[in-house]
This record gives sequence, structure tokens and C-alpha cells, in this order.
Amino acid sequence: MGRVQVGVAERVESEQTSSWLAPRQLLVAPTLAGVILFFLIPLGTIVAYSFAQIDLVTYDIRFGWTLANYRGLGDPLYFHTLLRSIGLSVGTTVGCLLLGFPLAYFISRQSTSWQRILLVLVLVPFWTSFIVRVYSIETLLQNTGPVDDLLRALRIVSGHFNFLYTRGSIAVGIIYSYLPTMVLPIYVGLERIDVDVLEAAADLGASSRRTFLRVTLPLALPGVVVGCLIVGIPAMGEYVIPEILGGGKTLMLGNVITAQFLDVGNFTFGSSIAVALIAAMSLVLFARRYIRPLEGA
Amino acid sequence: MNFRRHLFSGIVGVLVLGFLWIPLLMTVVNALNRDELLSRWGGATFRWFGVALQNADARNGLRASLTIALATSVLSVVIAVTGALWWRKAGRRARRAFDLLVYLRIVLPEVVFAAALFIFLSRWGFPLGTLAVVIGHTVWASAYATLVIQSRVIGLDPSLEDAAADLGATPLRTFRRVTVPALVPAILAAGLLTFTFSFDDVVTSFYLAGSQVAPLPVVLLSMIRFRIGPQINAIGLLVMGITIVTMAIVLLLVSKTSQRSRARFSTPDAFQQGPLVEEEVR
Repeated sequence: MGRVQVGVAERVESEQTSSWLAPRQLLVAPTLAGVILFFLIPLGTIVAYSFAQIDLVTYDIRFGWTLANYRGLGDPLYFHTLLRSIGLSVGTTVGCLLLGFPLAYFISRQSTSWQRILLVLVLVPFWTSFIVRVYSIETLLQNTGPVDDLLRALRIVSGHFNFLYTRGSIAVGIIYSYLPTMVLPIYVGLERIDVDVLEAAADLGASSRRTFLRVTLPLALPGVVVGCLIVGIPAMGEYVIPEILGGGKTLMLGNVITAQFLDVGNFTFGSSIAVALIAAMSLVLFARRYIRPLEGA
Repeated sequence: MNFRRHLFSGIVGVLVLGFLWIPLLMTVVNALNRDELLSRWGGATFRWFGVALQNADARNGLRASLTIALATSVLSVVIAVTGALWWRKAGRRARRAFDLLVYLRIVLPEVVFAAALFIFLSRWGFPLGTLAVVIGHTVWASAYATLVIQSRVIGLDPSLEDAAADLGATPLRTFRRVTVPALVPAILAAGLLTFTFSFDDVVTSFYLAGSQVAPLPVVLLSMIRFRIGPQINAIGLLVMGITIVTMAIVLLLVSKTSQRSRARFSTPDAFQQGPLVEEEVR
């Protein structure tokens, strides 16, 4: 604290000479201090740890720029988990898009008061305890639960449904939990489309399908991209949903990382998995550069 | 309701809304369900609410979560308001760097961030517990708060502050009497958002709470793991009640103050021009 105050005095004196040292610059201090100390440095630490070795008896860390941790990732257990996480992330993003786009489109075509009501209906589940909702899905999908009963009554499955604690149930949980995050940006994009533009397309003889494909969809694309990013990226590192709906059998990277940190105590190996997750995520963001030109079209 | 013209999207939309609401309705039904396995309806009971209220872990968890969420929202708002006001007058490059730091905090998978902060704090002997969780939550919650405040700051008309200065107000007075009142709705919205995010968070809390403190979501997670079933729904419902009442109060405050500030300040489409959106248009 003391040091900051000295800083104020110095800065006030030199206020006139340079805009860089104006007291106004102090406004960014809380953000900068917090981000550097508790975000950037910890991230640097985890990257450094991923190249270090840990003694699992004494928990001493030896920094040595070794790739041993990354070689451990080649183990099928971890490699398959990595692939499964990417697959589930992509699959659930597509699922959210397929369910979320029609809903967002539907909402955007209503009168303002209906739009408000429907948005509240989308958001209220979002504002209730996440973990309780996931638990609720567990009770819905369990054998002898309501879904199982219904499917057996309709004779769609013989015996039990046996869906809980599989990849499928994790996917249902992720799609359910992230749907509102997909709907909102798409809705914002669609809602802004000027009705005149659509009418112009119709006046020029475009069928409603053609108007949708050639006018609505391209204008909605930025919202779709934002939605896919804010669903796909957190989904890849999801911990709670596979923990509950995967029943400890089907794992994702989030579970493996947490096990290494909080159960095994192998910080360096855990760090390398975390860095691998960031790498997988960066690939997604990198791919976006190539999608960008399309968005502008 | 304009239903017939958009038949396909209407049908899908209604089904998806149903999908969003079914688990919530299940929570309500099962909170009242006498059947311990929750596999079928076993008659109504208020027993689980009694059990939930007696549960000391849940009560302590609720207290810990409320403390953490309150501290997180206050810190996040302070960071966001100062940051956004700096950003408003910063140069192009400085703005970009600032935005990048905001998006990075939102985009980075929470597990990675929580693990990183966990190693960092334990390496320097910083004790895990309430303060550690507050720090962890504030790092990402303040990023969301910044987005909310920025969207309002963009709509602020600088001529109002210039006018205040011309009329002889000191910078501090201008800030207190002009800038802050115009930001009040955004401050309340950001505070509410970060409060609920923090209150609902599992992963960061799980990593940073240590063995002494257990915020409510962490308590609930271990109850689910150890199959201490039905009272979870009752706890969820009680918490939902608290959340909805708080939300209603804050929304009321927001709409009141924003009406008042709209009467006093012109802030056209402040919420339409968030920085995220601006980024996309470019």
C-alpha cells in the first residue's frame, strides 16, 4: 500500500509533463495488479511446472525443462481422455447450436413483450443453482427414473435404459447447462436484423427460404460464432458435469487434472495436462482466424 | 404470439424451453417427494426441508458462500469501474491490451485457472480458505463485471462531465455527482451478476477452499457423490428462493434508477453497443 501512495505523489507532480504519468492512469492499477499477480504469474507458474519434475514423497519441485510430463500424456488413458474431451466439446457445441438457433430465431420474431417473457424463461434456469440442476438430470436419467419409465412404457427400450454414466449422459448435461449461453448471443444478433432488409429481399422476389439462407443466416453468423466459442471452450474443461453424470467412469480432462492436483498430488503432471488443454483450446481460436473472413462476407 | 409464420422454429423453440425447464420442475417435485430413491412419486412431504435446515454443513456452506460472493462482487465492481473508466480514455493500443486481458480471463477454462492459482498460492505458503476463494473468484468475475460496466461507459456522454467541469465542479465532485450516478444501473447489474457467479461456482471454490472451509456448492457436490440424495433438492429450492428474491429486489432497483438516470442523462442504446459486439462488427 505504502509504495502505491508514494507513486501517487510522484505522479501528481509530473501530471502536467506527461499524459502517461497522469493520476488518471492509477485507475487501471486495481485491474493490472490483480491480473498480473493472480492471473498471469500463476499461469506462468503452471507452464513452468509442466516442464519440471516433482518428488512424490517430499513434494520437492526440480525445475529442469524436461518433457517427461508431456511424454506421460501419450499414455492411452490420458490421450483418450484428451480426445474424448475435444469430441464432447465439439459435439455438444453443435448440439447447443442445433437446439439454440431455432429457439433464438423464434424469440427474435416475436413482439417485444413476448420476447421479454421468453428471454426470462430462458434465463431463469440459468440463474438457479448449477449443481442442483445437474443433480436433477442425474435423477431424471437414472434407471427406474422418469425417462427410463417412459421409454420402457413406450417399449422403446427393453430392460433398462442404462444411459446414465455414459458419454451420452455427459453430453445431455453439457448441452442442457450451456444452452442459454448459446441462445443469448444468437438472439442478440438476430434481433438486430432490420425487418426492412428482409422485406427488401422478399420484394426482390426471394422465397422465404432463400431470404433466410442468404440474408438472415449471414447476418446472424457473428452471434453464432460467439455462441460456439463461449460454449465450446468451457465445455472442454468441464469438471462438475462428468463428475456427476459420468459417475467417475467416463472422464474428461477437467477430472483428470483435478485428480492429479487434489488427490495424487502430482502437480507437474497435472500442469502438463492443463497446458495440453490450453493448447487444444488455442487450436480452436486459431481456426477462428480462418473463419473470420467468412463472417465478414 | 407470432406462431404460425414460424412453425418449425416455434415447435423446436417450445420443446427446447421444455427441456430447459424439466430439470427445474423435477427439483421442485423431488424436494417434496417422500420416496428416498426419488425414482417414483411416493407422496408429498416437507421432511426434506426440515432435514436440510438441520444440516450443519449446508448452513455453514451457505454462510461461507454468501460471504465469499459478497466480497467478490464488491471487489469485482471496484476493479471493473476503475478499469472501465481508464479504458474509456485510453489510447487505441492500451484499450486493445486491456480488452485482451478481459477476454483471456473469461475464455481460459476454469479448471486450468483454478489449478494455476492453487499451485501459485501453495508455493508461496498462502493459506487456502475464504480469502483464497475470493481472490480466485474475483479474477474472472471482475472480467464479466468489466464487460457490463464498459457497455455502459461507452454510452456515457462526455459533454455532461465537461459541462459539470465548466460549471466549476472539481473532478472528484464531477465523478461523484455525474459519472457514478450514470453508472449505477450497470454497477448494480455487474454486482448481481458477479454475486450469482461466485455463489454458484464449484471449480474455483473446490480448488482454493482447502479443508477448513466448504462453500455451499462444494458441500452439495460431496453430498451428491456420497449419495445423500433428497435433501439436495430442498436445499436447492431454498437457495433458489433466496436468489429469486434478491434478483427481484435488484431488478426493481435497476429499473428505477435507470429510469431516473435516463431522464437525467442521455444514454442512447448503451446496452446495445457492448465492446464484445463492437469487436464482432469490426
